[in-house]
Amino acid sequence: MAESPARTAFAEEALTHLDTLYRGALRLTRDPDQAQDLVQEAYLRALRYQHSYQQGTNMKAWLFAIMRNLFWDRFKGSRKEDVSLDDVGEFVLYDKLRDEGAKPEEDVLNKLAASEVVEAVEKLPPLHREVVLLVDVEGFSYKDAAQTLGVPIGTVMSRLHRARQQLQKSLYDYAVESGIVHTGGMKQVPQQ
Amino acid sequence: MNCQDCSEKLDRYVDRELNDTEVLELQLHLEGCPHCEDHYEFQAHLKRLVRHSCDCDTAPPAFREKLRQILS
Repeated sequence: MAESPARTAFAEEALTHLDTLYRGALRLTRDPDQAQDLVQEAYLRALRYQHSYQQGTNMKAWLFAIMRNLFWDRFKGSRKEDVSLDDVGEFVLYDKLRDEGAKPEEDVLNKLAASEVVEAVEKLPPLHREVVLLVDVEGFSYKDAAQTLGVPIGTVMSRLHRARQQLQKSLYDYAVESGIVHTGGMKQVPQQ
Repeated sequence: MNCQDCSEKLDRYVDRELNDTEVLELQLHLEGCPHCEDHYEFQAHLKRLVRHSCDCDTAPPAFREKLRQILS
């Protein structure tokens, strides 16, 4: 049976957001196979409920909301688990590095590997991780992120702030472990 | 604006979520405060680092094609 032009057009537009959904699913599940399953299910659900999508609104946010709701329903079982974030206090990486005698950008940020940054993001609890994904990686406004996650803008801001604190703490710990910085001052690395 | 006010608004400045008046006030402070300016540059750099580290993953072509067939 031939599909309707409207359905085909909807599917085509929805697929333009595939990379965003796949990246989000990959970061949330931390598993490529599970990410593909999650995204496929999200697209099937989106197609089933396409009548509830309002033309002219943010389709990427709408699709992401479907995907992350499925993630919480299927992969986590309950929204109440795994949501806590260790309290690292007001951890300001910039100030910490300055205190250690480092030049924060040149000595540290320029030396961090992308894989370490991804690992630090993936270590965040999912509720905080998804805010970083939306705002920092995909460039969502606070308003769109709040709508996608079904929370007030203030919650987006507080989760983002705490997530960034934790992220900076993780990156600092990595920088210390890998010898980029060490407590008590910068490591002296011979010039090549 | 003092350094404390600046620090509290830095996240929203980096995320382009301040209104025009707040942006002007903050930029005026940054112009006269090297410490806050350096801190801002660091935060902006960190945000770019997170984005560039995480946005290089794209859906595998075979998966994209599979989805296209399922949805059509």
